[in-house]
Amino acid sequence: MSEAMQPAALARAALAIRRQFLRMHYHARSGHVGSGLSAIDILTYLYGAWLRPTDQFILSKGHGASSLYATLHHFGKLSDAELASYYQDDTLLPAHPAPRGVAAIAAATGSLGHGLPIAAGMAHSYKSLRGTQERVACLLSDGECNEGSTWEAALFAGHHRLDNLTVLVDANGIQGFGRTEDVLTLEPFAKKWSAFGFDVRECDGHDFGALHVALAGESFARPRCIIARTVKGKGVSFMENTVDWHYWPMNEAQYEQAVAELDQSESTLAP
Amino acid sequence: MRVDFVRAVEKVLARDEEALFITGDLGFNALEGLVAKYGKRFINAGVAEQNMIGLAAGSALTGMRPWVYSIAPFVTYRCLEQIRNDVCLHQLPVRIVGNGGGYSYGIMGSTHHALEDLAVLKALPNMQLFFPCENDHVAAAVALMAELEGPSYLRLAVSAYTTSRAPLAEHPVTLTRAYATRADRSQPGVTVIGAGHAVQVALRALAAHGLDRQNADVFGIARFPFRLAEDTALLASVLETKNVVFVEEHYAAGGMGESMKLALPTLSAFSLMSASYRPDQRYGSAAFHMKQANLTPEALVALVQAQLGAA
Repeated sequence: MSEAMQPAALARAALAIRRQFLRMHYHARSGHVGSGLSAIDILTYLYGAWLRPTDQFILSKGHGASSLYATLHHFGKLSDAELASYYQDDTLLPAHPAPRGVAAIAAATGSLGHGLPIAAGMAHSYKSLRGTQERVACLLSDGECNEGSTWEAALFAGHHRLDNLTVLVDANGIQGFGRTEDVLTLEPFAKKWSAFGFDVRECDGHDFGALHVALAGESFARPRCIIARTVKGKGVSFMENTVDWHYWPMNEAQYEQAVAELDQSESTLAP
Repeated sequence: MRVDFVRAVEKVLARDEEALFITGDLGFNALEGLVAKYGKRFINAGVAEQNMIGLAAGSALTGMRPWVYSIAPFVTYRCLEQIRNDVCLHQLPVRIVGNGGGYSYGIMGSTHHALEDLAVLKALPNMQLFFPCENDHVAAAVALMAELEGPSYLRLAVSAYTTSRAPLAEHPVTLTRAYATRADRSQPGVTVIGAGHAVQVALRALAAHGLDRQNADVFGIARFPFRLAEDTALLASVLETKNVVFVEEHYAAGGMGESMKLALPTLSAFSLMSASYRPDQRYGSAAFHMKQANLTPEALVALVQAQLGAA
Protein backbone atom coordinates (compact mmCIF):
# COMPACT_ATOMS: atom_id res chain seq x y z
CA MET A 1 0.00 0.00 0.00
CA SER A 2 1.11 3.53 -0.69
CA GLU A 3 1.29 6.20 2.03
CA ALA A 4 -2.29 7.39 1.61
CA MET A 5 -3.65 3.86 1.55
CA GLN A 6 -2.50 2.72 4.99
CA PRO A 7 -5.19 1.14 7.15
CA ALA A 8 -4.98 3.95 9.71
CA ALA A 9 -5.67 6.59 7.06
CA LEU A 10 -8.52 4.53 5.68
CA ALA A 11 -9.98 4.16 9.17
CA ARG A 12 -9.94 7.95 9.58
CA ALA A 13 -11.57 8.37 6.18
CA ALA A 14 -14.26 5.82 7.02
CA LEU A 15 -14.98 7.60 10.27
CA ALA A 16 -15.37 10.93 8.47
CA ILE A 17 -17.66 9.26 5.92
CA ARG A 18 -19.76 7.73 8.70
CA ARG A 19 -20.14 11.17 10.30
CA GLN A 20 -21.20 12.71 7.01
CA PHE A 21 -23.53 9.78 6.34
CA LEU A 22 -25.27 10.09 9.72
CA ARG A 23 -25.59 13.87 9.29
CA MET A 24 -27.22 13.35 5.88
CA HIS A 25 -29.69 10.80 7.23
CA TYR A 26 -30.50 12.81 10.33
CA HIS A 27 -31.25 15.99 8.39
CA ALA A 28 -33.14 14.15 5.66
CA ARG A 29 -34.99 11.91 8.13
CA SER A 30 -34.22 9.06 5.78
CA GLY A 31 -33.92 5.31 6.36
CA HIS A 32 -31.52 2.60 5.14
CA VAL A 33 -29.04 3.69 7.82
CA GLY A 34 -27.98 0.19 8.80
CA SER A 35 -27.38 -0.91 5.19
CA GLY A 36 -25.12 2.07 4.54
CA LEU A 37 -23.09 1.62 7.72
CA SER A 38 -22.35 -1.98 6.79
CA ALA A 39 -20.97 -0.93 3.39
CA ILE A 40 -18.95 2.18 4.28
CA ASP A 41 -15.67 0.41 5.05
CA ILE A 42 -15.85 -1.51 1.77
CA LEU A 43 -16.60 1.68 -0.16
CA THR A 44 -13.82 3.52 1.64
CA TYR A 45 -11.34 0.84 0.68
CA LEU A 46 -12.49 0.79 -2.94
CA TYR A 47 -12.38 4.55 -3.43
CA GLY A 48 -9.42 5.17 -1.12
CA ALA A 49 -7.14 2.38 -2.22
CA TRP A 50 -8.34 0.24 -5.09
CA LEU A 51 -10.28 1.94 -7.89
CA ARG A 52 -8.15 3.57 -10.59
CA PRO A 53 -9.49 6.66 -12.39
CA THR A 54 -10.89 4.71 -15.36
CA ASP A 55 -12.23 1.77 -13.34
CA GLN A 56 -15.97 1.43 -12.91
CA PHE A 57 -17.98 0.78 -9.78
CA ILE A 58 -21.59 -0.41 -9.73
CA LEU A 59 -23.52 -0.24 -6.48
CA SER A 60 -25.91 -3.10 -7.05
CA LYS A 61 -27.33 -2.72 -3.54
CA GLY A 62 -28.88 0.58 -4.55
CA HIS A 63 -30.39 1.14 -1.10
CA GLY A 64 -26.85 1.88 0.04
CA ALA A 65 -26.79 4.99 -2.19
CA SER A 66 -26.32 7.48 0.65
CA SER A 67 -23.17 5.67 1.79
CA LEU A 68 -21.87 5.91 -1.77
CA TYR A 69 -22.75 9.62 -1.94
CA ALA A 70 -20.90 10.28 1.33
CA THR A 71 -17.91 8.29 0.08
CA LEU A 72 -17.82 10.04 -3.31
CA HIS A 73 -18.02 13.39 -1.53
CA HIS A 74 -15.17 12.47 0.78
CA PHE A 75 -12.97 11.61 -2.18
CA GLY A 76 -13.88 14.76 -4.10
CA LYS A 77 -16.21 13.22 -6.66
CA LEU A 78 -19.36 15.01 -5.44
CA SER A 79 -19.54 18.68 -4.55
CA ASP A 80 -20.78 20.12 -1.24
CA ALA A 81 -23.81 21.52 -3.04
CA GLU A 82 -24.63 18.21 -4.65
CA LEU A 83 -24.34 16.40 -1.36
CA ALA A 84 -26.49 19.00 0.42
CA SER A 85 -29.30 18.23 -2.01
CA TYR A 86 -29.49 14.57 -0.93
CA TYR A 87 -33.11 13.41 -0.48
CA GLN A 88 -34.44 16.93 -1.13
CA ASP A 89 -36.82 17.99 -3.89
CA ASP A 90 -35.05 18.58 -7.22
CA THR A 91 -32.00 16.50 -6.25
CA LEU A 92 -29.90 14.20 -8.42
CA LEU A 93 -29.21 12.16 -5.28
CA PRO A 94 -32.38 10.28 -4.35
CA ALA A 95 -32.50 7.33 -1.96
CA HIS A 96 -31.38 5.00 -4.77
CA PRO A 97 -28.88 6.08 -7.46
CA ALA A 98 -30.45 7.87 -10.42
CA PRO A 99 -29.77 7.19 -14.10
CA ARG A 100 -27.48 9.72 -15.78
CA GLY A 101 -27.60 11.83 -12.64
CA VAL A 102 -23.99 12.51 -11.63
CA ALA A 103 -20.87 11.57 -13.56
CA ALA A 104 -19.42 9.50 -10.72
CA ILE A 105 -22.33 7.03 -10.78
CA ALA A 106 -22.50 4.86 -13.89
CA ALA A 107 -25.80 3.09 -13.38
CA ALA A 108 -29.10 3.52 -11.61
CA THR A 109 -29.92 0.69 -9.23
CA GLY A 110 -32.46 0.06 -6.53
CA SER A 111 -34.30 -2.94 -7.83
CA LEU A 112 -32.10 -5.78 -6.63
CA GLY A 113 -30.37 -8.14 -9.01
CA HIS A 114 -29.64 -5.56 -11.73
CA GLY A 115 -26.11 -4.48 -10.89
CA LEU A 116 -24.14 -7.63 -11.59
CA PRO A 117 -25.52 -8.15 -15.13
CA ILE A 118 -24.61 -4.54 -15.94
CA ALA A 119 -21.16 -4.90 -14.39
CA ALA A 120 -20.58 -8.17 -16.25
CA GLY A 121 -21.56 -6.50 -19.52
CA MET A 122 -19.13 -3.66 -18.86
CA ALA A 123 -16.34 -6.03 -17.88
CA HIS A 124 -16.93 -8.20 -20.94
CA SER A 125 -16.90 -5.20 -23.26
CA TYR A 126 -13.69 -3.80 -21.81
CA LYS A 127 -11.88 -7.12 -21.85
CA SER A 128 -13.15 -8.87 -24.96
CA LEU A 129 -14.50 -6.19 -27.29
CA ARG A 130 -12.67 -2.94 -26.58
CA GLY A 131 -9.44 -4.50 -25.37
CA THR A 132 -8.94 -1.88 -22.67
CA GLN A 133 -7.67 -2.18 -19.12
CA GLU A 134 -10.59 -0.94 -17.04
CA ARG A 135 -11.61 -3.04 -14.06
CA VAL A 136 -15.17 -3.24 -12.81
CA ALA A 137 -16.20 -3.68 -9.19
CA CYS A 138 -19.75 -4.44 -8.14
CA LEU A 139 -21.10 -4.37 -4.60
CA LEU A 140 -24.01 -6.69 -3.85
CA SER A 141 -26.05 -7.17 -0.72
CA ASP A 142 -26.38 -10.73 0.48
CA GLY A 143 -30.16 -10.36 0.20
CA GLU A 144 -29.95 -9.72 -3.50
CA CYS A 145 -28.27 -13.07 -3.94
CA ASN A 146 -31.86 -14.34 -3.71
CA GLU A 147 -32.34 -12.90 -7.20
CA GLY A 148 -31.98 -15.27 -10.14
CA SER A 149 -30.55 -12.55 -12.33
CA THR A 150 -27.54 -12.29 -9.99
CA TRP A 151 -26.74 -15.93 -10.68
CA GLU A 152 -27.39 -15.59 -14.41
CA ALA A 153 -24.70 -12.92 -14.43
CA ALA A 154 -22.42 -15.07 -12.28
CA LEU A 155 -22.71 -17.86 -14.85
CA PHE A 156 -21.84 -15.41 -17.61
CA ALA A 157 -18.88 -13.92 -15.75
CA GLY A 158 -17.50 -17.36 -14.91
CA HIS A 159 -17.97 -18.67 -18.42
CA HIS A 160 -16.25 -15.67 -20.00
CA ARG A 161 -13.49 -15.70 -17.37
CA LEU A 162 -13.96 -12.02 -16.62
CA ASP A 163 -10.84 -11.48 -14.56
CA ASN A 164 -11.42 -7.73 -14.72
CA LEU A 165 -14.61 -8.13 -12.67
CA THR A 166 -14.62 -8.05 -8.88
CA VAL A 167 -17.82 -8.81 -7.02
CA LEU A 168 -18.01 -7.80 -3.40
CA VAL A 169 -20.86 -9.04 -1.26
CA ASP A 170 -21.74 -6.93 1.76
CA ALA A 171 -22.66 -10.02 3.75
CA ASN A 172 -24.29 -8.54 6.84
CA GLY A 173 -26.64 -11.48 7.21
CA ILE A 174 -29.81 -9.39 7.32
CA GLN A 175 -32.28 -8.70 4.54
CA GLY A 176 -35.57 -6.84 4.24
CA PHE A 177 -37.70 -8.84 6.60
CA GLY A 178 -35.41 -11.24 8.39
CA ARG A 179 -32.02 -12.89 8.63
CA THR A 180 -30.70 -14.36 5.41
CA GLU A 181 -30.20 -17.75 7.09
CA ASP A 182 -33.90 -17.77 8.03
CA VAL A 183 -35.33 -16.34 4.80
CA LEU A 184 -33.37 -18.21 2.11
CA THR A 185 -30.11 -19.56 3.35
CA LEU A 186 -27.13 -18.77 1.13
CA GLU A 187 -24.66 -21.11 2.76
CA PRO A 188 -22.41 -22.63 1.67
CA PHE A 189 -22.07 -19.20 0.10
CA ALA A 190 -18.38 -19.30 -0.86
CA LYS A 191 -18.86 -22.71 -2.48
CA LYS A 192 -21.72 -21.35 -4.58
CA TRP A 193 -19.57 -18.57 -6.04
CA SER A 194 -16.67 -20.94 -6.45
CA ALA A 195 -18.88 -23.41 -8.32
CA PHE A 196 -19.85 -20.58 -10.70
CA GLY A 197 -16.18 -20.10 -11.60
CA PHE A 198 -15.14 -17.31 -9.25
CA ASP A 199 -11.95 -16.94 -7.28
CA VAL A 200 -13.57 -16.56 -3.87
CA ARG A 201 -12.10 -14.90 -0.83
CA GLU A 202 -13.81 -14.26 2.48
CA CYS A 203 -12.78 -11.50 4.82
CA ASP A 204 -13.88 -9.17 7.58
CA GLY A 205 -15.52 -6.34 5.63
CA HIS A 206 -14.58 -3.81 8.30
CA ASP A 207 -10.86 -4.70 8.39
CA PHE A 208 -8.86 -2.69 5.84
CA GLY A 209 -5.88 -5.02 6.05
CA ALA A 210 -8.13 -7.98 5.33
CA LEU A 211 -9.85 -6.15 2.46
CA HIS A 212 -6.43 -5.31 1.05
CA VAL A 213 -5.38 -8.94 1.09
CA ALA A 214 -8.69 -10.09 -0.40
CA LEU A 215 -8.48 -7.59 -3.25
CA ALA A 216 -4.78 -8.15 -3.96
CA GLY A 217 -3.09 -10.63 -6.25
CA GLU A 218 -4.13 -12.56 -9.31
CA SER A 219 -7.32 -14.50 -9.92
CA PHE A 220 -5.83 -16.41 -12.86
CA ALA A 221 -8.42 -15.83 -15.55
CA ARG A 222 -11.39 -15.92 -13.18
CA PRO A 223 -13.69 -13.23 -11.89
CA ARG A 224 -13.23 -12.62 -8.20
CA CYS A 225 -15.83 -12.69 -5.46
CA ILE A 226 -15.08 -11.25 -2.06
CA ILE A 227 -17.55 -12.23 0.60
CA ALA A 228 -17.09 -9.36 3.01
CA ARG A 229 -18.53 -10.40 6.35
CA THR A 230 -20.02 -7.25 7.78
CA VAL A 231 -22.24 -6.00 10.57
CA LYS A 232 -25.39 -4.17 9.57
CA GLY A 233 -25.36 -0.80 11.34
CA LYS A 234 -21.58 -1.08 11.99
CA GLY A 235 -20.19 1.62 14.25
CA VAL A 236 -23.36 2.58 16.12
CA SER A 237 -24.04 0.09 18.91
CA PHE A 238 -27.83 0.29 19.00
CA MET A 239 -28.10 -0.06 15.23
CA GLU A 240 -25.80 -3.03 14.91
CA ASN A 241 -27.22 -6.31 13.70
CA THR A 242 -30.89 -5.35 13.65
CA VAL A 243 -33.54 -5.44 10.93
CA ASP A 244 -35.11 -2.27 12.38
CA TRP A 245 -32.33 0.06 11.23
CA HIS A 246 -32.90 -0.96 7.64
CA TYR A 247 -35.95 1.27 7.94
CA TRP A 248 -35.98 3.86 10.77
CA PRO A 249 -34.78 7.41 10.50
CA MET A 250 -32.96 8.81 13.54
CA ASN A 251 -34.48 11.15 16.09
CA GLU A 252 -32.33 13.81 17.76
CA ALA A 253 -31.34 11.70 20.76
CA GLN A 254 -30.42 8.76 18.57
CA TYR A 255 -28.36 10.96 16.29
CA GLU A 256 -26.50 12.51 19.21
CA GLN A 257 -25.76 9.12 20.68
CA ALA A 258 -24.58 7.81 17.29
CA VAL A 259 -22.22 10.78 16.88
CA ALA A 260 -20.96 10.34 20.44
CA GLU A 261 -20.11 6.74 19.64
CA LEU A 262 -18.16 7.84 16.56
CA ASP A 263 -16.31 10.36 18.74
CA GLN A 264 -15.45 7.51 21.08
CA SER A 265 -14.18 5.42 18.15
CA GLU A 266 -12.07 8.32 16.97
CA SER A 267 -10.31 8.58 20.32
CA THR A 268 -9.11 5.01 19.87
CA LEU A 269 -7.65 5.56 16.40
CA ALA A 270 -3.92 5.74 15.95
CA PRO A 271 -2.82 9.39 15.59
CA MET B 1 -38.58 -11.49 -41.90
CA ARG B 2 -35.83 -13.23 -39.94
CA VAL B 3 -33.69 -13.76 -43.04
CA ASP B 4 -34.13 -10.12 -44.00
CA PHE B 5 -33.23 -9.07 -40.48
CA VAL B 6 -30.05 -11.13 -40.41
CA ARG B 7 -29.00 -9.71 -43.77
CA ALA B 8 -29.65 -6.16 -42.58
CA VAL B 9 -28.00 -6.49 -39.19
CA GLU B 10 -24.95 -8.06 -40.83
CA LYS B 11 -24.49 -4.80 -42.74
CA VAL B 12 -24.67 -2.88 -39.48
CA LEU B 13 -22.07 -5.16 -37.86
CA ALA B 14 -19.87 -4.74 -40.92
CA ARG B 15 -19.86 -0.96 -40.87
CA ASP B 16 -20.06 -0.30 -37.11
CA GLU B 17 -17.27 -1.89 -35.12
CA GLU B 18 -19.02 -0.95 -31.89
CA ALA B 19 -22.12 -2.92 -32.82
CA LEU B 20 -22.48 -6.37 -31.29
CA PHE B 21 -25.03 -9.13 -31.44
CA ILE B 22 -26.34 -10.95 -28.38
CA THR B 23 -28.72 -13.88 -28.61
CA GLY B 24 -30.64 -15.65 -25.90
CA ASP B 25 -29.64 -19.06 -27.24
CA LEU B 26 -31.89 -18.69 -30.30
CA GLY B 27 -30.87 -18.58 -33.93
CA PHE B 28 -30.45 -22.16 -35.09
CA ASN B 29 -30.24 -22.25 -38.88
CA ALA B 30 -30.29 -18.46 -39.06
CA LEU B 31 -27.43 -16.87 -37.17
CA GLU B 32 -24.57 -19.25 -37.95
CA GLY B 33 -23.22 -16.82 -40.55
CA LEU B 34 -22.99 -14.03 -38.00
CA VAL B 35 -21.19 -16.32 -35.55
CA ALA B 36 -18.63 -17.26 -38.17
CA LYS B 37 -18.06 -13.74 -39.40
CA TYR B 38 -18.21 -11.64 -36.25
CA GLY B 39 -16.82 -14.06 -33.63
CA LYS B 40 -16.12 -11.92 -30.62
CA ARG B 41 -18.95 -9.51 -31.42
CA PHE B 42 -21.45 -12.36 -31.38
CA ILE B 43 -22.39 -13.48 -27.88
CA ASN B 44 -24.72 -16.30 -26.96
CA ALA B 45 -25.80 -15.19 -23.50
CA GLY B 46 -27.55 -18.47 -22.89
CA VAL B 47 -31.12 -18.94 -21.72
CA ALA B 48 -30.92 -16.00 -19.35
CA GLU B 49 -32.89 -13.04 -20.63
CA GLN B 50 -32.59 -10.83 -17.56
CA ASN B 51 -28.82 -11.04 -17.63
CA MET B 52 -28.83 -10.65 -21.41
CA ILE B 53 -30.53 -7.25 -21.23
CA GLY B 54 -28.46 -6.17 -18.23
CA LEU B 55 -25.20 -7.01 -19.92
CA ALA B 56 -26.36 -5.31 -23.11
CA ALA B 57 -26.91 -2.18 -21.02
CA GLY B 58 -23.49 -2.59 -19.41
CA SER B 59 -21.83 -2.94 -22.80
CA ALA B 60 -23.70 0.14 -24.04
CA LEU B 61 -22.41 2.07 -21.03
CA THR B 62 -18.90 1.37 -22.36
CA GLY B 63 -19.88 2.75 -25.79
CA MET B 64 -21.03 -0.40 -27.58
CA ARG B 65 -24.29 -0.62 -29.55
CA PRO B 66 -25.79 -4.07 -28.92
CA TRP B 67 -28.53 -5.90 -30.79
CA VAL B 68 -30.31 -8.36 -28.51
CA TYR B 69 -32.24 -11.19 -30.10
CA SER B 70 -34.68 -13.83 -28.96
CA ILE B 71 -38.27 -14.95 -29.44
CA ALA B 72 -40.54 -11.94 -28.94
CA PRO B 73 -42.24 -12.99 -25.67
CA PHE B 74 -38.93 -14.07 -24.13
CA VAL B 75 -37.01 -10.89 -24.92
CA THR B 76 -39.77 -8.62 -23.61
CA TYR B 77 -41.71 -10.02 -20.65
CA ARG B 78 -39.15 -11.92 -18.57
CA CYS B 79 -36.72 -9.03 -18.68
CA LEU B 80 -39.16 -6.12 -18.72
CA GLU B 81 -37.65 -4.53 -15.63
CA GLN B 82 -34.17 -4.75 -17.13
CA ILE B 83 -35.49 -3.07 -20.27
CA ARG B 84 -37.13 -0.37 -18.19
CA ASN B 85 -34.37 0.30 -15.64
CA ASP B 86 -31.13 -0.67 -17.30
CA VAL B 87 -31.90 0.35 -20.89
CA CYS B 88 -34.72 2.91 -21.07
CA LEU B 89 -34.00 4.93 -17.94
CA HIS B 90 -30.36 5.18 -19.02
CA GLN B 91 -31.38 6.09 -22.61
CA LEU B 92 -28.98 3.51 -24.00
CA PRO B 93 -28.71 2.42 -27.66
CA VAL B 94 -29.80 -1.17 -27.05
CA ARG B 95 -31.72 -2.62 -30.00
CA ILE B 96 -34.07 -5.41 -28.89
CA VAL B 97 -35.29 -7.82 -31.54
CA GLY B 98 -38.21 -10.16 -30.99
CA ASN B 99 -38.94 -12.85 -33.53
CA GLY B 100 -42.48 -14.17 -33.85
CA GLY B 101 -44.72 -11.17 -33.13
CA GLY B 102 -48.44 -11.81 -32.74
CA TYR B 103 -49.60 -15.34 -33.56
CA SER B 104 -46.55 -16.15 -35.72
CA TYR B 105 -45.61 -19.12 -33.55
CA GLY B 106 -49.19 -20.49 -33.74
CA ILE B 107 -49.05 -24.17 -32.83
CA MET B 108 -46.09 -23.62 -30.49
CA GLY B 109 -48.70 -22.48 -28.00
CA SER B 110 -49.65 -19.40 -26.05
CA THR B 111 -46.32 -19.09 -24.23
CA HIS B 112 -44.77 -18.33 -27.62
CA HIS B 113 -47.36 -15.83 -28.83
CA ALA B 114 -46.55 -12.13 -28.44
CA LEU B 115 -49.82 -10.23 -28.14
CA GLU B 116 -48.87 -7.67 -25.48
CA ASP B 117 -45.27 -6.86 -26.47
CA LEU B 118 -46.02 -3.50 -28.04
CA ALA B 119 -48.35 -2.61 -25.17
CA VAL B 120 -45.78 -3.11 -22.44
CA LEU B 121 -42.91 -1.57 -24.38
CA LYS B 122 -44.76 1.49 -25.67
CA ALA B 123 -45.24 2.66 -22.09
CA LEU B 124 -41.50 2.76 -21.44
CA PRO B 125 -39.71 6.10 -21.60
CA ASN B 126 -37.40 6.68 -24.60
CA MET B 127 -38.45 3.41 -26.26
CA GLN B 128 -39.09 3.38 -30.00
CA LEU B 129 -40.98 0.51 -31.60
CA PHE B 130 -40.56 -0.83 -35.14
CA PHE B 131 -42.96 -3.40 -36.61
CA PRO B 132 -42.34 -3.95 -40.33
CA CYS B 133 -45.25 -4.78 -42.60
CA GLU B 134 -43.47 -7.23 -44.90
CA ASN B 135 -40.11 -8.91 -45.38
CA ASP B 136 -38.87 -6.14 -47.68
CA HIS B 137 -39.71 -3.58 -45.00
CA VAL B 138 -37.24 -4.94 -42.42
CA ALA B 139 -34.01 -3.48 -43.77
CA ALA B 140 -35.31 0.09 -43.57
CA ALA B 141 -36.33 -0.43 -39.95
CA VAL B 142 -32.94 -1.91 -39.06
CA ALA B 143 -31.16 0.99 -40.77
CA LEU B 144 -33.18 3.53 -38.76
CA MET B 145 -32.64 1.65 -35.49
CA ALA B 146 -28.91 1.53 -36.11
CA GLU B 147 -28.82 5.33 -36.07
CA LEU B 148 -30.77 5.78 -32.82
CA GLU B 149 -28.99 6.95 -29.70
CA GLY B 150 -31.67 5.47 -27.47
CA PRO B 151 -33.54 2.17 -27.03
CA SER B 152 -35.61 0.45 -29.67
CA TYR B 153 -37.56 -2.74 -30.31
CA LEU B 154 -38.02 -4.58 -33.59
CA ARG B 155 -40.99 -6.91 -33.94
CA LEU B 156 -40.40 -9.59 -36.56
CA ALA B 157 -43.30 -11.75 -37.64
CA VAL B 158 -44.68 -14.16 -40.18
CA SER B 159 -48.22 -13.40 -41.29
CA ALA B 160 -50.75 -16.18 -41.70
CA TYR B 161 -51.78 -14.31 -44.86
CA THR B 162 -48.41 -14.04 -46.52
CA THR B 163 -49.34 -11.70 -49.29
CA SER B 164 -46.63 -9.57 -50.74
CA ARG B 165 -47.72 -6.44 -52.53
CA ALA B 166 -45.61 -3.62 -53.83
CA PRO B 167 -46.46 -0.47 -51.91
CA LEU B 168 -47.49 2.65 -53.80
CA ALA B 169 -45.24 4.66 -51.52
CA GLU B 170 -43.12 4.30 -48.40
CA HIS B 171 -42.20 7.20 -46.12
CA PRO B 172 -38.45 7.17 -45.41
CA VAL B 173 -38.79 8.21 -41.78
CA THR B 174 -42.18 7.03 -40.54
CA LEU B 175 -41.84 3.89 -42.70
CA THR B 176 -45.60 4.11 -43.33
CA ARG B 177 -46.58 2.36 -46.54
CA ALA B 178 -49.50 3.29 -48.79
CA TYR B 179 -50.85 0.14 -50.48
CA ALA B 180 -54.09 1.20 -52.14
CA THR B 181 -55.95 4.37 -53.00
CA ARG B 182 -59.72 4.54 -53.11
CA ALA B 183 -61.33 4.86 -56.52
CA ASP B 184 -63.85 7.63 -55.96
CA ARG B 185 -62.93 10.46 -53.64
CA SER B 186 -66.32 12.09 -54.10
CA GLN B 187 -67.97 9.13 -52.38
CA PRO B 188 -67.72 8.03 -48.74
CA GLY B 189 -64.52 6.14 -48.16
CA VAL B 190 -62.70 4.16 -45.50
CA THR B 191 -59.08 4.36 -44.35
CA VAL B 192 -57.78 0.89 -43.51
CA ILE B 193 -54.66 0.97 -41.35
CA GLY B 194 -52.72 -2.18 -40.55
CA ALA B 195 -50.09 -2.22 -37.79
CA GLY B 196 -47.01 -4.05 -39.01
CA HIS B 197 -47.54 -7.47 -40.50
CA ALA B 198 -51.26 -7.31 -39.66
CA VAL B 199 -51.58 -5.15 -42.77
CA GLN B 200 -51.23 -8.40 -44.69
CA VAL B 201 -54.82 -9.19 -43.72
CA ALA B 202 -55.72 -6.13 -45.78
CA LEU B 203 -53.31 -7.04 -48.56
CA ARG B 204 -54.97 -10.46 -48.85
CA ALA B 205 -58.35 -8.75 -48.78
CA LEU B 206 -57.19 -6.52 -51.63
CA ALA B 207 -55.82 -9.41 -53.68
CA ALA B 208 -58.52 -11.99 -53.18
CA HIS B 209 -61.54 -10.83 -51.22
CA GLY B 210 -62.85 -7.73 -52.92
CA LEU B 211 -61.43 -5.00 -50.71
CA ASP B 212 -60.24 -3.32 -53.93
CA ARG B 213 -63.87 -2.92 -54.96
CA GLN B 214 -64.65 -0.95 -51.79
CA ASN B 215 -63.75 2.70 -51.56
CA ALA B 216 -60.78 2.12 -49.27
CA ASP B 217 -57.34 3.60 -48.79
CA VAL B 218 -54.94 1.04 -47.29
CA PHE B 219 -51.90 1.96 -45.20
CA GLY B 220 -49.41 -0.07 -43.22
CA ILE B 221 -47.76 1.63 -40.27
CA ALA B 222 -44.50 0.40 -38.77
CA ARG B 223 -43.34 2.79 -36.10
CA PHE B 224 -44.29 4.08 -32.64
CA PRO B 225 -44.37 6.80 -31.35
CA PHE B 226 -46.40 7.76 -34.41
CA ARG B 227 -45.15 10.68 -36.49
CA LEU B 228 -48.48 11.71 -37.97
CA ALA B 229 -47.33 15.23 -38.79
CA GLU B 230 -44.90 13.65 -41.26
CA ASP B 231 -47.38 11.01 -42.39
CA THR B 232 -49.19 13.48 -44.61
CA ALA B 233 -50.81 10.94 -46.96
CA LEU B 234 -52.22 8.90 -44.10
CA LEU B 235 -53.44 12.00 -42.30
CA ALA B 236 -55.03 13.42 -45.46
CA SER B 237 -56.90 10.17 -46.05
CA VAL B 238 -58.22 10.07 -42.51
CA LEU B 239 -59.28 13.72 -42.65
CA GLU B 240 -61.24 12.99 -45.84
CA THR B 241 -62.86 9.69 -44.90
CA LYS B 242 -63.23 10.29 -41.16
CA ASN B 243 -63.75 6.56 -41.19
CA VAL B 244 -61.03 4.17 -40.03
CA VAL B 245 -60.68 0.43 -39.71
CA PHE B 246 -57.54 -0.53 -37.80
CA VAL B 247 -56.07 -4.04 -37.89
CA GLU B 248 -53.49 -5.34 -35.43
CA GLU B 249 -52.16 -8.75 -34.44
CA HIS B 250 -52.03 -7.79 -30.79
CA TYR B 251 -54.53 -7.47 -27.96
CA ALA B 252 -56.67 -4.34 -28.13
CA ALA B 253 -55.71 -3.17 -24.64
CA GLY B 254 -52.52 -1.19 -25.00
CA GLY B 255 -52.22 -1.92 -28.68
CA MET B 256 -51.39 0.40 -31.55
CA GLY B 257 -55.07 0.83 -32.45
CA GLU B 258 -55.89 2.34 -29.10
CA SER B 259 -53.02 4.80 -29.44
CA MET B 260 -53.96 5.61 -33.04
CA LYS B 261 -57.53 6.40 -32.09
CA LEU B 262 -56.25 8.91 -29.54
CA ALA B 263 -53.78 10.42 -31.99
CA LEU B 264 -56.19 10.94 -34.87
CA PRO B 265 -58.58 13.86 -35.23
CA THR B 266 -62.26 13.29 -34.45
CA LEU B 267 -63.72 10.62 -36.70
CA SER B 268 -67.20 9.44 -37.66
CA ALA B 269 -66.21 5.85 -37.10
CA PHE B 270 -63.21 3.89 -35.80
CA SER B 271 -63.27 0.10 -35.73
CA LEU B 272 -60.59 -2.08 -34.30
CA MET B 273 -59.75 -5.61 -35.35
CA SER B 274 -57.48 -7.12 -32.70
CA ALA B 275 -56.30 -10.42 -31.31
CA SER B 276 -58.39 -11.85 -28.52
CA TYR B 277 -57.86 -14.08 -25.53
CA ARG B 278 -60.00 -17.21 -25.57
CA PRO B 279 -60.74 -18.99 -22.30
CA ASP B 280 -61.39 -22.25 -24.17
CA GLN B 281 -57.87 -22.30 -25.52
CA ARG B 282 -57.25 -24.47 -28.55
CA TYR B 283 -54.11 -24.28 -30.61
CA GLY B 284 -53.23 -24.37 -34.25
CA SER B 285 -51.43 -22.56 -37.01
CA ALA B 286 -51.20 -18.78 -37.08
CA ALA B 287 -54.04 -18.88 -39.60
CA PHE B 288 -56.13 -20.91 -37.12
CA HIS B 289 -55.61 -18.29 -34.42
CA MET B 290 -56.33 -15.45 -36.80
CA LYS B 291 -59.61 -17.08 -37.74
CA GLN B 292 -60.51 -17.63 -34.08
CA ALA B 293 -59.84 -13.96 -33.42
CA ASN B 294 -61.86 -13.00 -36.51
CA LEU B 295 -58.74 -11.36 -37.95
CA THR B 296 -59.51 -12.47 -41.49
CA PRO B 297 -59.64 -10.77 -44.89
CA GLU B 298 -63.33 -11.66 -45.13
CA ALA B 299 -64.09 -10.08 -41.77
CA LEU B 300 -62.17 -6.96 -42.82
CA VAL B 301 -64.13 -6.62 -46.05
CA ALA B 302 -67.41 -7.09 -44.17
CA LEU B 303 -66.42 -4.44 -41.63
CA VAL B 304 -65.43 -1.99 -44.35
CA GLN B 305 -68.73 -2.58 -46.15
CA ALA B 306 -70.68 -2.11 -42.93
CA GLN B 307 -68.87 1.10 -42.13
CA LEU B 308 -69.41 2.45 -45.63
CA GLY B 309 -73.07 1.47 -45.47
CA ALA B 310 -73.48 3.38 -42.24
CA ALA B 311 -71.66 6.44 -43.57
